[in-house]
Amino acid sequence: MSALLLVLGPIVAAIGLALPWVRARANGWLVITTLIVASGAIVAAVVPIPQHVRPGGMVRMDATARLFLSVVDPIFLGVVAYFWRRPHATSVSSTDLPRFVAASLVFLGAANAVLLSNDLQVCLVALEITTLLVTPLIAGSGTRSARLASFHYLVFSSVGLGLVLLGFACIARGMLDAGQVADFHIDALVARRHPGTGLWSGLGLCLVLLGLGTKLGLVPMYTWLPAAYDEAPPTVAAMLAAVQFNCAFVLLVRVVQIWRPDHAGLILATLMAMGVASMVVSTVSIIATFDLKRLIAYASINHAGVLAIGLGLGRPAAYGMLLYALSNAFIKAILFLTAGKIHQHYQTKDTRAISGLIRDLPYSGLFLMLGTFALLGFPPFGSFFGELLILSALVGNGQMLVFATFCTLIAITFVATGRTIFPMIWGEAKMLRSWPRQTLLEALPKLLFLIALVVLGLYIPAPIDALLRQVAAVLEGS
Amino acid sequence: MNSLLVGLLLVLLVPLFVGTWRTSLLGLAAQGLTLAWIASRLDPALDTPLAWLTLVDLAAVRGLLAPWLLYRVLKAHDALPRNDVIPPNLLSWTVALALVLMAFRFAARMVPAAGEQQTLVAVAAAGLLLGFLVLATQPGVFSQIIGVLRIDNAIALFELGGEHHHPSIGMHAAHLLILIATLSLYRWYLESLGLPGPMPDVPTREGLGR
Repeated sequence: MSALLLVLGPIVAAIGLALPWVRARANGWLVITTLIVASGAIVAAVVPIPQHVRPGGMVRMDATARLFLSVVDPIFLGVVAYFWRRPHATSVSSTDLPRFVAASLVFLGAANAVLLSNDLQVCLVALEITTLLVTPLIAGSGTRSARLASFHYLVFSSVGLGLVLLGFACIARGMLDAGQVADFHIDALVARRHPGTGLWSGLGLCLVLLGLGTKLGLVPMYTWLPAAYDEAPPTVAAMLAAVQFNCAFVLLVRVVQIWRPDHAGLILATLMAMGVASMVVSTVSIIATFDLKRLIAYASINHAGVLAIGLGLGRPAAYGMLLYALSNAFIKAILFLTAGKIHQHYQTKDTRAISGLIRDLPYSGLFLMLGTFALLGFPPFGSFFGELLILSALVGNGQMLVFATFCTLIAITFVATGRTIFPMIWGEAKMLRSWPRQTLLEALPKLLFLIALVVLGLYIPAPIDALLRQVAAVLEGS
Repeated sequence: MNSLLVGLLLVLLVPLFVGTWRTSLLGLAAQGLTLAWIASRLDPALDTPLAWLTLVDLAAVRGLLAPWLLYRVLKAHDALPRNDVIPPNLLSWTVALALVLMAFRFAARMVPAAGEQQTLVAVAAAGLLLGFLVLATQPGVFSQIIGVLRIDNAIALFELGGEHHHPSIGMHAAHLLILIATLSLYRWYLESLGLPGPMPDVPTREGLGR
C-alpha cells in the first residue's frame, strides 16, 4: 500500500492544484509533496523489509526499486528545491507555474511507477508518460532551437519506445510459440527462469535493447540528447539526465535480468557494441565542443556507454555498474544546475568566454570543479570505484580489446574535458563584475548531492551497500 | 484477408511516390482505416470492450483524427502542395522497393508457413522499414511526423496479428490516451515550427510572397 502512495501521492497532489489556494502556493506545494515522497523513498530503502512482491500484483518493492527510489526521489527533491529558490532563473512565468508544477508532480509519480511496477508493459507506459510530460518543458525558453530540440526528443522517444513495444510483441510471439503464457509480470518471468528462446524472442530482445538504448542516448539513436539537454532549462535538464535516465536504465536492468539466462551472448554483444560505440562518439564530440551544456550532455552519452558495457558483462561488473549509475545521477544533477547558473550570469555557454569562476562565482566554480573531477572518475567519488570495478570485470572476463579501448577513450576524455573546463575555473577573469553572492540555501541541494557522491566513494552506508549487493546478485553473469 | 494486406501495402507505398502533403495525409488515413478493417476481420464478433477500443484507436484516432489535426495546420498556413516524403529520385524509389522485398524475405524466415500470418508480418515489417526510410531521408517537421506515425501504424499491425493482448483494458486505454496526447504535441510542433520563416518546413504561399 505504501509503495502505491509513492506513485499516487504526487498525482493526487497535482490534482490538488485545481484548488485556488493551492495554485497560489504552487511552488511550495511542489516542494512539500516532493519532500514527503522523497522521505518515504529513503525510509523504504533504509528500513530492512523482506522483498515485497505479491505474485501477479501491480507493485514490486524489491531491492532494485528501493535502491533507485532512494536516489531518484531525493535528486528530484534537490532539483525542485533549486527551482523553488530560483524560479526566475528558469523560463517558467508566474502564469505557467501551476502547469509546470502539475507536470512535475505527475512526472514524479510516473517515474516512481517505472521503478515500482511489477509489469514490464506498465513500466513502458509510465516511461512514455514521463516523456510526454517533459517534452513541452524542454521547449520552455520558447526559442525555435529549443522547440526543435524538444520535437526531436519526442520523435526519437516515440520511435525508441515504439521499438520497445514491438520488441515485447515479438517476445510474446516467442513465448506463445514455445507453449508458454505471454505474461509480462516481472515476478512470473523471473520465476520462470527461462522465459523464451527462439528467433522471435531474440529479435524482440534486440528491439527492446535498441529502444531503451535510444532513451539512454546510446548509439545509434542518440542525436536527440545533446540538443535536448543543451536547450532545456537547467531544472528540466537535471530531471532528464538524473531522473528519467535512471528510470529507463532500471527498465533495461530488469529486461536484461530476465532474459540473460537464455540470451547471454546476444546481450553481451549488443550492449558491448552499443557501449563502446557510444563512448567513441561522445569522446570525439567532447573534443569538438566548446558549449558547456553540450559537453555535459556528451559526457552523459559517455556514461551511458560505460553503463551498457557494465550491464553487458553481468554479475562481475554489477556492483560497479550500479555504483557508477548512482554516482552519475548526482554528478549530472550538480553539473546541469551549475551550468544553468553560469549561463545565467555570463549570458553565454561558450567555455572560451568564461574564465575565473572560482573567484567570480565561488560556489559555482567549486561545484563545477568537483563535479568535473567526479565526471572524469577521480577519487574519492563513487564514480571512480564504479569505473574501476567495471574495468576489473573487463579484464576478468578476458575482454582485453574493450578494456584497452575503454582506457584510451577515458584518457582522451580527461584531456579534452580538462582542456575545456579547467581554464573556466582557474583562468584570469575576463569580465570584472561584482555578482550578488549566492547564499548557502541556494547552494544547499548541490552541496547535499556532493556529499552523497563522496559518501558513495568513501563509505557506503550499510543499508545502501546491502541493496547494492542484493541488486548485483540478481544480475547473472554472462 | 490477404487482399486487405496487399491493399495496405499499396497504401504504404503509393504516397511515397506522390510528393504532396495531401497524399501523405490521405495515405495515413487510409492506413488507419485499413487497419481497422483488418481488426474487424480478425475479430468480427466485436463483443468485448477491447475490440471496440481497438476499432476506436485504429479508425477514429489513427485513421481520422491524426490526418485531420495535421491537415488543419497545413491548411491554415496555406502550405504549398509539394512535400516529398522521400527524395524524388530513382535511387530512393529503388531503396523503398528493396526494403519491401527485404521485409518479405524477413517474414519468410520468421514465419516459415506461407499464409496470412506471413503476409501480415511482411507488411508490418515493410511499414516499419519505410517509416525509417522517411525519417532518415527527410529532416522537415511534417515529414518526420509522417515517418513516426507510419512506424506506429506498422507496430499496430504487428500487434493485431499476434495472439497476446494485455488483459487489462486500462493498459489499452492508456496507450490510446498517450497516442492522442502525442498527436496533440505533433500538431503544436507543426504549427510552431512549420511557420514561414528563414527555414520554413513546408513552403507556404506566405513564405514565398505569393
